[in-house]
Amino acid sequence: MGEDFNTDSMLDMFLYESEQLLENLQNVVLERKDEDCFDETSINEIFRVMHTIKGSSGIMMYENITKIAHKLEDVFYYLRESHPENVPHLELVDHVLEVSDFITAELDKIKEGDTPDGDESSIVADIDKFLTNLKSGITQQGEELPPENTYVAPSQFYVAPTGNESNKYYKMSVYWRSDTQMCNIRAYTAVYSLKEVVEDMQYIPDDIISNESSGDVILKDGFHMLIKCQCSKDELLSTMGETSGMERVEVNECTQQEFEMGFHDHGPEQIVIELEDKEKEPEKKEKKEPAPGDYVIKSKEAGKGKKLAKNQPKQQPKQTYISVSVEKLDSLMDMIGELVISEAVVLQNPDLKVPGLDLTNFQKAAGQLAKITTELQDVIMSMRMMPLTNTFQKMNRIVFDVSRKLGKDIELEVIGENTEVDKNIIEHISDPLMHLVRNSVDHGIESKEERIAAGKSPKGKITLEAKNEGGKVYIIVRDDGKGLNKQALYDKALKNGLIGNRSITDFSEKEIYQFITFAGFSTKEQVTEYSGRGVGMDVVVKNIQAVGGNLEIDSVEGAGSEMIMKIPLTLAIINGIVMQVGKSTFVIETNAVKEFVRIRKDMIVKEPDGEEYIMLRGECFPFIRLNRRYHLEESLTEGEDGIVVVLEHENKYICVFIDKLIAEQEIVVKPIPPYIKKVQGLSGCTQLGDGSIALILDIAGLIAGEERK
Amino acid sequence: MADELLEELEGEEDTQKGKFMTFQIGEECYGLAINYVQEIIGIQPITPVPEVEDYIKGLINIRGKIIPVVDVRIRFKQPSFEYTDRTCIIVIAVKSTVVGLVVDRIAGVITVDEKEIILPPSLSQSTSANRKYVFGLARIEGEVKLLLDPERLIQDEDVSALDGAVSGKDALAEV
Repeated sequence: MGEDFNTDSMLDMFLYESEQLLENLQNVVLERKDEDCFDETSINEIFRVMHTIKGSSGIMMYENITKIAHKLEDVFYYLRESHPENVPHLELVDHVLEVSDFITAELDKIKEGDTPDGDESSIVADIDKFLTNLKSGITQQGEELPPENTYVAPSQFYVAPTGNESNKYYKMSVYWRSDTQMCNIRAYTAVYSLKEVVEDMQYIPDDIISNESSGDVILKDGFHMLIKCQCSKDELLSTMGETSGMERVEVNECTQQEFEMGFHDHGPEQIVIELEDKEKEPEKKEKKEPAPGDYVIKSKEAGKGKKLAKNQPKQQPKQTYISVSVEKLDSLMDMIGELVISEAVVLQNPDLKVPGLDLTNFQKAAGQLAKITTELQDVIMSMRMMPLTNTFQKMNRIVFDVSRKLGKDIELEVIGENTEVDKNIIEHISDPLMHLVRNSVDHGIESKEERIAAGKSPKGKITLEAKNEGGKVYIIVRDDGKGLNKQALYDKALKNGLIGNRSITDFSEKEIYQFITFAGFSTKEQVTEYSGRGVGMDVVVKNIQAVGGNLEIDSVEGAGSEMIMKIPLTLAIINGIVMQVGKSTFVIETNAVKEFVRIRKDMIVKEPDGEEYIMLRGECFPFIRLNRRYHLEESLTEGEDGIVVVLEHENKYICVFIDKLIAEQEIVVKPIPPYIKKVQGLSGCTQLGDGSIALILDIAGLIAGEERK
Repeated sequence: MADELLEELEGEEDTQKGKFMTFQIGEECYGLAINYVQEIIGIQPITPVPEVEDYIKGLINIRGKIIPVVDVRIRFKQPSFEYTDRTCIIVIAVKSTVVGLVVDRIAGVITVDEKEIILPPSLSQSTSANRKYVFGLARIEGEVKLLLDPERLIQDEDVSALDGAVSGKDALAEV
């Protein structure tokens, strides 16, 4: 009756664990894809992953996953045991990836609440063929082939026990050959099939599902069941069916009392008997009749304990992560921010300023406190940040897949994968990035022949680069392919009516490249499996814009193209310059600031309509007075008294007039509560060290506002 | 005072039923269903936000959370007043929106039987500026309290003007 568990939480666990395992698997495989064969560690790793997935999907009754995982496990079991040579490595890699894709797809279905109904048979058949070929290649080594596991599909989960007069009671013991693998799963299969006919049953070891090492116990001592049913011995046997590797099945009738006593109520004497039994007749095992004492599990648990201890270290890494909702992290961050402020309030408390106070000890303690809070701040910040490593690794897979299918030889270079980005952003850029990489592989890099004809190395190269620059994360996908053809882009855009009737000279290079991001634009004549439907790039751009980023495209025809995603580090800390206008405090991102200048009156140029410009070193910049723009009172009006900040955004400059500078500091960007309507030129707010709030100026917004005038 | 009121909030949903927090704005005494009220804080420095409606006074920081503050007087088109030490900010949460309301003075908590709530006379619908925020009247100890519908209160002027008359009964049902 061990299966009476709640499947909901198990399902979550199963999905989470399987996903982790598959990710792991992919990394292992892709790491070794360019080599000739898998080394022992990776074979073991893949074997372990498949084994675990097989086991857990078996419990969750996802038959197709179990089957396919089992198949692949067989292959790797063979590789592990027989060390065959001349393994067609790429083919094997393909098989592994295929299986991993299949399982991922099934897991997705499960997540959506659908039944995983994918057909595994063709993949299984392929792998079968592969395995047979592998085996036939080196049978002369005469090594024992891994036993074929057959999985009997359970068709029903559990039959509730019902009372009935005509009940019969049996003891059933199953023994497997000593070389059998995965006895616990087999035993489980047997239990499943028997459940269809029995009313109630107990078995030992009773932890066959949860404890893998119980397989070894079963192997050693057999699997014992107490069964209450209404059918005959033969019926039981036929129901259970003959699974391979099964050596011997014993069925004996027993009394109701014996059944009710179960396995667990035996006194300690019987343990002794059991131990003695084992010592006396290890060789006679074949003939051993199951005696009541045999079922005692105490002595077996000792062995199990050892096994467990051995297995433990492997499982450890999985449990070192716990997922926490971002909301909780946010509130923790708020609290820590508050803590820092309270700290300042305490440490700079006016009560401490009494003359003649000896504060030596206080200052020491205060120093310690300050250290801890600073560290705490760092930790919470780093908690939200994740390296791009995982995202980039996925690209590895895509390049591999697509390039092989298209017959292109492509090398992927990854730079700066450790760049850390806010977790939310990672989630948003994964898809666009995938698309860009696919595009590069598919459209960017030419075929081998073309490359050779163009005098390039036949091996194409895609560079994936991430870097932090100017408060933004740059993610660059660069290829050394054929680049973009301006004329072709223009013609196509014209043909599709995307740009009206404007001539090509109306557009700058970059503007022409941007055409590919328009909806319904695809220059590739042929639609391939991977890209070319023309829905891609506009979606990419939309996704990037959703996180406040933008996409820049650059290209040199014949030499390659470059897609640059510029993504802000929202919610992350930015370096800001705090400044004051009247009574209000504003913050400007440090990177946007080009310079601070004091101006003279004669540098201000005034147009008749009131618009002002500043002449600076012979150049003319638009001039904004924040106090006027935002109707702030009590601020300076004379140009000579205040300071002009020159700001730059995407090669556009603007001068902003402020009262005075306060400090440069790291600030945490917080959104302005949505209750307040969006104000142009403000992108958020932040809390300063003293608890007061400053508004963050949005340079792009300021410039846009100025342009619209 | 604030502490006492907060204690009141600790209770179960049921004990909050029919309880209203009352506060004074100008001459009038208003009530607000207590389950909307998160906390009451003394007046603190408000950071003004430019180019917003005049009744939004700006932003305040409550333990790291930045919330907007509405001056109820200005919201009711009454002349604004100087903030003093007695001035309080009632932090209310309506659905997911958290807003601080600046009021003259906190009066206390009253219990109003649902049956005692009188719907405002529908005659004067368009005349009084604060009519649309008030869903009912209650007479407690000889004093009339205007019961506010917080959703309307924080809602956008334009939106609330559109579906002006519907709210009265809805809000009543919620209380």
